[in-house]
Amino acid sequence: MLTSPLFLEIVLFPGLLSIAIIGALLGWLERKVTARVQLRIGPLYASPAGGILQMFADLIKLSFKELFVPENSDAFFFIMAPTTGLVLGAALVGLIPFAPGLQIANIEVGLPAFLAIITLSPTLILLAGWSANSKFPFIGGLRALFQQTAYEIPLWLSALGVIMMAGTMNLGQIVNAQTSGWFILPQALGAFIFLVTSVAEMERLPFDLPEAESEIMMGWQAEYPGVLFLAAQGPGFVKLYAFSALFSVMFLGGFLGPSFLPPLFWMLLKTLLIIVLIMLLRSTFPRVRLDQLLRAGWTTLLTLAIINIGITYILVVGFPTL
Amino acid sequence: MEPLSSFFAVSVILLGIGIYGLTTKRNAIRILFSIELIYNAANLNIIAFARLRNPPIVTGQVLVLFTIALAAMEAAVGLSIIILVSRLNADIDLSKLSKLKG
Amino acid sequence: MTDLLFLAFAAVTVGAAILAIEARDLVYGAAALGIAFLGVAGLFFLLDAAYVGWFQIAVYIGAVVVLILFTVMLVGPKKGETPLGLKRVSLLAAMLMSLLLGMTGALANATAFPGPDSCGSGCDLSLFSTSLLKNYGVPLEFMSLVMAAAVIGALALSKTDRGQ
Repeated sequence: MLTSPLFLEIVLFPGLLSIAIIGALLGWLERKVTARVQLRIGPLYASPAGGILQMFADLIKLSFKELFVPENSDAFFFIMAPTTGLVLGAALVGLIPFAPGLQIANIEVGLPAFLAIITLSPTLILLAGWSANSKFPFIGGLRALFQQTAYEIPLWLSALGVIMMAGTMNLGQIVNAQTSGWFILPQALGAFIFLVTSVAEMERLPFDLPEAESEIMMGWQAEYPGVLFLAAQGPGFVKLYAFSALFSVMFLGGFLGPSFLPPLFWMLLKTLLIIVLIMLLRSTFPRVRLDQLLRAGWTTLLTLAIINIGITYILVVGFPTL
Repeated sequence: MEPLSSFFAVSVILLGIGIYGLTTKRNAIRILFSIELIYNAANLNIIAFARLRNPPIVTGQVLVLFTIALAAMEAAVGLSIIILVSRLNADIDLSKLSKLKG
Repeated sequence: MTDLLFLAFAAVTVGAAILAIEARDLVYGAAALGIAFLGVAGLFFLLDAAYVGWFQIAVYIGAVVVLILFTVMLVGPKKGETPLGLKRVSLLAAMLMSLLLGMTGALANATAFPGPDSCGSGCDLSLFSTSLLKNYGVPLEFMSLVMAAAVIGALALSKTDRGQ
């Protein structure tokens, strides 16, 4: 049982160990990319090459900090909410096909399952912000509620275009439906909406209102000490990894690519490209205001998503050979 | 496959809990909880009956999709009424809502 | 395996439902309600209704529970908690009703619901979607009308005049 493929997949790759390591490496990469854009150097010392072990050093530092629960806070939700978020983030990665057969949960409704797990995160963030019994965390939690519930609808609708093109909701079959051409071309509008809404769902700049550090000092994460702060930060990076992998599965042909390199390489390359793109968004765009964000979500993006469904309908019904 | 009676038992227990909450609680949000539990009991029942008849049919799943959407709408309208009541009344105890009695 | 999963999901559902009704703090009640919905979704998975299960998770926990939590936090968690004096009678009535329904269910089970092991076309996803759009297209349209009415109603109810 210990050497069965599924067990190895769950524990090593694409499962828990690789998620932890990739999450830490993404933390380093984000600081490095942001530093490069701002003409700085970024993390440098903690390693043989370019400070690559910086996040592991941070982990050791944070784990030596005192672990306490703030007075008058709700200890149960204060601890449970970020840890549950971490588990759900890891569950997202389990749905992604990284290569033919290299997938932990190959279910028929993989895409709705991914999006349904995403919808659980505003509940957890609201509970985390409420449980700290402090002003800024609660404001952050409420902002997360407004933002994520508003952007879920265009997210689902933009995914619908891909489902219509592929005729299936299974992620592996969506990849296989792209052998004749990636969906990024017929679904360009859908890909744009999906990218924008997923950045908003991940609470990254320019949509990082729930944790805006210059307004409400990290928002719902403000009261978290030591290792719990790491557990609150972790889901962000795991979600970044999972969303980028999902984007490359849905629009960039996933593990498809020239056969002189293994499929896994192409999948990871595309994922890395999307990750760097999202990180560049962070360092180039200013933060939007809450009213701008909600107006864009409920009007512009929703309308565009519905137009995209119309375009996809014309493509699928009018040109069935495509 | 579990027999129908086990799913039915869970459904009936959920219904019982929902009715108990509906009759004993006076907090409007708590009553909404009970209604949602009763909805879930019904949904579970519909799915179980559609799956465990011979041959199974998809109509049950379609019906449950409608019910879930209806329940979400009912929650949205109910909660906005609760917010309105709490704004007018400063309390959401339904037994104290007697302004319309005339 | 299915037996164990069924027992786990059933226990979680029933326990969380009791907690949702009886928890003193409404926030805990709402969270327990979310767990109960999750348990029902698990039972849906056991009944080969995976799509409905994920739909249940997305709508109930992603929308309904979050709305309830928002309302609880807005209204104030400690309000309206005077229990009614009918506790014992209600409990008796609920149990009696459950018993009655349970007997009906047992009778139904004994006669007409053997349930084949593999679901076959009864849970086919493409058949499900064709059925939804072809056989039940008109109800679906009415559903969207009701949904629009509900959204407009909720907006009209919760609108405040900022000027006053």
